[in-house]
Amino acid sequence: MPGTLDLSIDLALAGLAVGSAAALSGVGLVVTHRVTGVLNLAQGAQATATAYLLRELVVVRNWPLAPAAAFCLLVAAPALGVLLDLAVFRPLRRRDAGQAESMVAGIGVFVLLIGVIVLVWGTTPFGDAPALVPATVLARPGGHALRLDTLVQLAVVLGLAGGVGLVERYTAFGIRLRAVVDNRRLARLAGIDADRISAAGWAFGSFTAGLVGVLLAPLLLLDPYGLPLLVMATMAVAVAARLRSLPVAVATGLGLGIAQSELTRLRPGGQLLPLAQAVQTNLFVVALLVAALLPWGHGQDGPGLATSGGRPGRRGSSAARTACAVLLLLPLGFRPEDLRHALLVPALALVLLSVVVVTGYGGQVSLGQAGYAGLGALGTALLMSGKVPGVPALSAVPALLLAVAATVPLGLLTGWPAVRRRGLALALVTFAVGTALSRLVFDQPYATTGLTVSRLGLPADDQGFYLVELVLLGAGLLLVRSLHRGPPGRALTAMRDHQAGASAAGVDVPRLKLLVFMAGAGLAALGGALTALAQQGFDATAFDPVQGLLWFATVVVAGADSAAGAVLAAALLTGLDAGTLPGVSAVVVGALATAIGRLPGGLAGLARRLADRPAPGLTPLGHRLRRRIAERSR
Amino acid sequence: MSAGLTARGVVRGFGGIRAVDGVDLAVPPGRITALVGPNGVGKSTLFDCLAGATRPDAGRVLLAGRDITALPDHARARLGLARTFQQVAVFPGLTVEQNVRVGAEQRRGGTARALLGLPAPGRAAARAATDRALRLLDLDPVRDWPADRLPPGTLRLLELARALAAAPRVLLLDEPGAGLDLAQTARLAAVLRALTAEGMALLLVEHDVELVARLADTVYVMAAGRMVARGPAREVLADRRVAAAWGEP
Repeated sequence: MPGTLDLSIDLALAGLAVGSAAALSGVGLVVTHRVTGVLNLAQGAQATATAYLLRELVVVRNWPLAPAAAFCLLVAAPALGVLLDLAVFRPLRRRDAGQAESMVAGIGVFVLLIGVIVLVWGTTPFGDAPALVPATVLARPGGHALRLDTLVQLAVVLGLAGGVGLVERYTAFGIRLRAVVDNRRLARLAGIDADRISAAGWAFGSFTAGLVGVLLAPLLLLDPYGLPLLVMATMAVAVAARLRSLPVAVATGLGLGIAQSELTRLRPGGQLLPLAQAVQTNLFVVALLVAALLPWGHGQDGPGLATSGGRPGRRGSSAARTACAVLLLLPLGFRPEDLRHALLVPALALVLLSVVVVTGYGGQVSLGQAGYAGLGALGTALLMSGKVPGVPALSAVPALLLAVAATVPLGLLTGWPAVRRRGLALALVTFAVGTALSRLVFDQPYATTGLTVSRLGLPADDQGFYLVELVLLGAGLLLVRSLHRGPPGRALTAMRDHQAGASAAGVDVPRLKLLVFMAGAGLAALGGALTALAQQGFDATAFDPVQGLLWFATVVVAGADSAAGAVLAAALLTGLDAGTLPGVSAVVVGALATAIGRLPGGLAGLARRLADRPAPGLTPLGHRLRRRIAERSR
Repeated sequence: MSAGLTARGVVRGFGGIRAVDGVDLAVPPGRITALVGPNGVGKSTLFDCLAGATRPDAGRVLLAGRDITALPDHARARLGLARTFQQVAVFPGLTVEQNVRVGAEQRRGGTARALLGLPAPGRAAARAATDRALRLLDLDPVRDWPADRLPPGTLRLLELARALAAAPRVLLLDEPGAGLDLAQTARLAAVLRALTAEGMALLLVEHDVELVARLADTVYVMAAGRMVARGPAREVLADRRVAAAWGEP
């Protein structure tokens, strides 16, 4: 059928727009990873920041497009890359920091940049991001519109990938670069300035990130969550290329773009349609999930995120506990409008506690806890609205309990992959699961319309509800405590500190991992359900994966293995959001996370070290007395 | 069926290379067996196959006559097969005592009770086994120290204490003498002798010829994935061909 073929070609041409951007993202990630050894998790935020900057210059300040684009792509973006290298990643490299720290720093940069974007430009989406190349139709071979922008983008991708290959193969710089890629330490001994090469790698990565953002922004609304997430999903391309092969990255990017476009023709009838459409619009998320699930490097062993050093400081932790209790009881005396904000604190604290259990205690990086929180919230909403087949509309308490109980086994979604993965590989899988839940489950018509959440069966006033939240938070804390003490606590710490050693000691590591992820899913679901009840509605954006990254960074900054730290962080985060401009909390958390290398164990670790410092020495009087006694005995 | 640990025709390859190529080995109770050979002949791979860190491609591993080839490492540990690592494996986030306790308390059925806040079954026994292992290796004075503040030699003893706390029937030691000072080596030798006297089966992978000569009853020599010699320690170590295969001058 010629008509079908024509349509296929048209769709393929249309798909090249997104496909070439994705391929570009893959090229940038692969090159940066090869040169610096770091997978740039902040790429989505760098891309978005550059896109915002270009729009600001062109639309608001009326710069002509060409100089504005040149400034954004050739000056601002590479400068940002070099700045990140100097301020964040070079210090980590100097200390031979583990993968976990680089990852947290990358997430910190991401959160920080998003915070800055929200602070400067707000959260209102812009639909007027300028297109870099006009969409002029150049020719119509066989009746298919061949557009200038498509051709330019393709040429840029192929030119960049080919150019990198040529530089690597045929120039002196390329030889030095390959030496650094092969063995950084050896290259340094051979007199190669590895730092300068890393800075060049970051500059290039940041430039491609900016280009990706500028290319993608006109295709969708420019807002602080959608674009970064799309760019993060294009990590699928780099992961499929196993962070090594440029040709595979280019081919995968273009292929996925075309596939996404062709999938628009697939229109199954009935209830499958929304799902098919969701898969189509989120093909990169699905691809990231698949690419991360396929076997590849199992991730390195490395120092975890928690503080080591045995006994926690007694004075420090009791002070933190007292502060928690005071902060949690304080809202009972608040005015009604302030209390409304405070309702989110125990809910958020439970979500953060889930990260403490999974990452802090169990040593398993989980970026997908927001997904479980969303499942708890959505489950509660569906059960209360009577939307679950065979179950009548329930009141709040049974709905909440049932939703949490149903989410616990779903912890296996990330628990199973965790049995055989660690570090970066696990981080990507959990992020992909969280993103897939958000886009394929929460962002669906059935979840966004016609759901009612009320506090039926619970105290209707905010004060009473807050007390109920405190009771549930207390129950959650008891569970967390039992996971941190006695035999399970010791087994978890053993697993976190040395997995093979724990296995050799008889700890059933796979079972323990599943247990940890299920406990984490349950805690997050409880927190999510309470969020929905506090707001009396299900809001999918509250459980956005970008939000999940912020929460993860928050817990690591507060001290990954500190339950009290998580509760304090929930109070501070909510307070910052309610009391200051939106974005401030992200900026604070992001800035602290980028400095995690200088802050081992997070703020809780700092507090512990301060509290465990030996008692101050003698007073001046004491010194004088000691001198006198010494003199006398002579 | 023989007690102790037995390997029969164990084969393990990596990408076309047979690191272990049809090896037989017996680790009888009440004796110290040593496995020696130059670097890269497959000692560690064989060790991992015995301990369960990797599965052999062919062959069987028997613990007291029971086929444990298909069991993962933690299950083998619970059956009484303990090991230590060449690169010391301790848990820096725990104290010395807690490190040892981890080895003592891995019995089935404790998790659910612990989550409910109930005491785990066999808690008193685990505590007693911990105390005994700490005393045996002279770690009592540092029992409340965080493990990450111990010197390297003491860390090795700590790892051994954790293995002993599980009251194993068979103990696999990967270069237990590395990094120990003279006094610690003497203590290690005394402890290993006492353990064999109690009937434990011991396998030693060791580079230190003197330690092997002093301790081992039986010595196996490996080269290129195969056993090239076995026999009483004195005879095997005196053999010129063995010394040549070992790469010792």
